[in-house]
Amino acid sequence: MIDLSRRALPRWVAPAATGVAVAAAGALLTVRDPRVPGAYAICPSLALTGTYCPGCGSLRAVNRLLAGDLAGAVGYNVLAVAVVPVLVYAWVAWALPPRLTARWPRVGSAPSRAIYAFAVLVGLYWVARNLPWEPFSWLAPSP
Amino acid sequence: MSEYPPYGSEQPGQQPPNQQPGGYPPPPAYGQQPQYGQPSYGAQPAFGQPSYGAAPSGPRPNNNLVLAILSTVLCCLPAGIVSIVYAAKVNGLWDSGQYAQAQAAAESAKKWAIISAGVTLVGVVLYVIFIVILGASGSLSP
Repeated sequence: MIDLSRRALPRWVAPAATGVAVAAAGALLTVRDPRVPGAYAICPSLALTGTYCPGCGSLRAVNRLLAGDLAGAVGYNVLAVAVVPVLVYAWVAWALPPRLTARWPRVGSAPSRAIYAFAVLVGLYWVARNLPWEPFSWLAPSP
Repeated sequence: MSEYPPYGSEQPGQQPPNQQPGGYPPPPAYGQQPQYGQPSYGAQPAFGQPSYGAAPSGPRPNNNLVLAILSTVLCCLPAGIVSIVYAAKVNGLWDSGQYAQAQAAAESAKKWAIISAGVTLVGVVLYVIFIVILGASGSLSP
């Protein structure tokens, strides 16, 4: 039986489409500066709860990364800056022909313990960046 | 969106994806043609159906960890943490032979990532429509 669902598209199409979408998002974040209040509405969790979620400041961080301003990016969301290389690696491993990447470790194949630890880290980060004292307050998005 | 090559593309250099604890049948290696005659995701056993010992009918499901990270940290709602936890379950369930549960956890990881991202995107779109309708050019600062 021929499984059309897995043969319909060449395998490079999905990574290429993702790359184009990410490039478009990056261009948008450069043209329309997320540091301008209201440029992309307000983070829904900040609007609803008045607290910073783990993703708050990530658009501004990406805007700063694209401008080459690493310190500025870290000031908005250090965790987002930390995961960008992981996501880039995941995309490269996905996009290159499988014969080149067959032996590359996959992000999705990380040990369960490591993934749980990451979930805990994200939870701690969520709490810590809302604490008003140094050094935790450094984790909140820069004003 | 699979990280795995389609069936039938032979990958002689690839290794089996993981080591098995004793007693369970190993899942097929990447790209390897399975011998069961049920070659697709679509042929997975139904969720909730007991599947201990059932032969896996495809490669280990994508645990959608990358989507989970993307939706949690680079945007969106803390609901993405739920997605990360589901993603963490997938490989362990699969490696211990609980194929249907692994598939279900992978689906849940994807679902929560999409919820997290979708709510935010809908919010932004509504906001833009709101701005356009009102012709408001000023900022609604947080």
